[in-house]
Amino acid sequence: MKKIFLLALLLAAPPVFAQLDTQWVIEQSTLTYHMSHPMHQVDGVSRDAKGKGVCHAEECDFLIATPVKSFDSGDTNRDLHMIEATRGAQFPMVVVRTRFPVGDTASATIYADLEVQFAGQTAHYAHVPFQRATQGNQVRLTGTILATCSDFKIDRPSFLTVPIKNEIPVRVDITWRPM
Amino acid sequence: MKLNATRLVFAGPVLILSSLIPALLPSQTPAASLSGKVTNPSGQVVSSAKVTVRNLETGQSAETRSNPDGVYTFPNLAPGAYELSVSAEAFAAKTSQVTLATQQQVMDLILSPIPAPLKALPNAPSATPASPSLGDLGFTPQQSQPNAQLQVLLDKRTEMLKIHQRLGLITTIPMAAALITGPMATAKGKNGQPITEPTTANLDFHAALGGATTALYFTSAYYAIRAPRVPGTEKHGAIRLHEALAFIHLPGMVLTPALGIMAYKQENAGEKVHGIASAHGAVAYTTAAAYGASIIAVSWPIHWKFWEK
Repeated sequence: MKKIFLLALLLAAPPVFAQLDTQWVIEQSTLTYHMSHPMHQVDGVSRDAKGKGVCHAEECDFLIATPVKSFDSGDTNRDLHMIEATRGAQFPMVVVRTRFPVGDTASATIYADLEVQFAGQTAHYAHVPFQRATQGNQVRLTGTILATCSDFKIDRPSFLTVPIKNEIPVRVDITWRPM
Repeated sequence: MKLNATRLVFAGPVLILSSLIPALLPSQTPAASLSGKVTNPSGQVVSSAKVTVRNLETGQSAETRSNPDGVYTFPNLAPGAYELSVSAEAFAAKTSQVTLATQQQVMDLILSPIPAPLKALPNAPSATPASPSLGDLGFTPQQSQPNAQLQVLLDKRTEMLKIHQRLGLITTIPMAAALITGPMATAKGKNGQPITEPTTANLDFHAALGGATTALYFTSAYYAIRAPRVPGTEKHGAIRLHEALAFIHLPGMVLTPALGIMAYKQENAGEKVHGIASAHGAVAYTTAAAYGASIIAVSWPIHWKFWEK
């Protein structure tokens, strides 16, 4: 009974992004890449992402970007090595574009197809799940993009002559507010 | 033939350094050339494509156009890193990097037609007039503009630090061996004991290891010190401790061999090591400890369960 009630509540809830021609901006964001090395487990965090979303009658377009050099792993040397390895001076921005139907925005989980530009390459990630939570008029989306170095043709950085693992999952935690 | 120990002590480092010197000296720059063919993905030639090459170190550029056969040529370029750009009507512009050596280099360029808007996936992103653009987000030009010169500087820095890291690790081998052989080499006459047997072989071997350690250490240090600094970067994290420890092991690596030579001479003269030379061992251990700590510092935090996936 409780489950049915919750389901009914969920279905009755209006899509949060769905108001016509609304625009959204990032209120706060944390993007975290995780890097694995036989001797190291390192997280690099960026809180400088900016983004804008536009919702029309049927779909929403979202754009999120952050400077490559804004990722901080706690050590300058490692961050500079990361910028070098990802050609971050030549391609200084990580840019993510996504579009999803307005109808999807009512769900607790939004599945987004992402186009990610990074290190001079463009990679597509289909059906990436993001958990949605509303806080007043703000919407918080959390999820993980299972990126790899080879998606962006990045020569894996090495430490003590041993390269890092190919997988560099990026945890996304972004809170949006209407403009 | 008895090995001359003093020669051995100095010959090793000199040999290592002399083998590295050519790599440290600026090289002569004979001309190189770059040529290739511009085609579309089907292999059909693209004529009149505008091809530009820019030296990433000097910023100098040259421009040409592909001929009716799609061929472009840049004769007489200085060896080095270049940015190669090509553009043609109805094709997406393309930029790539190429490093020229002293001979003729061929680089064919394949241009892709300007694509139609994405529509394959039901949720696929695409740019429409109402879609937000990067310009809407308010990033400063400093944040969002490419900086090819900075990339060249970072590449050079990484390359030098990789050499620094490898040589630094190699240095630990003769250093550890020198620490192990040290007590054996100085056993003669220690604590007032009579000299009972010659330990020249041990002493010479230890001295050679010390010499090799010194040569490798300073070569490694050269690559760290000469690695380009990145403007506007404030250092934080473990690298600061790594560098701070150099204030201990760098003077230590000057003092240790200096005291070692004094101790060596005293030993060879049949004397008990005395005076300031008797600090050789203590200084060596302190130096090695600081050196080891600097490696651990830059490796921190160590993932202890490194065998686990």
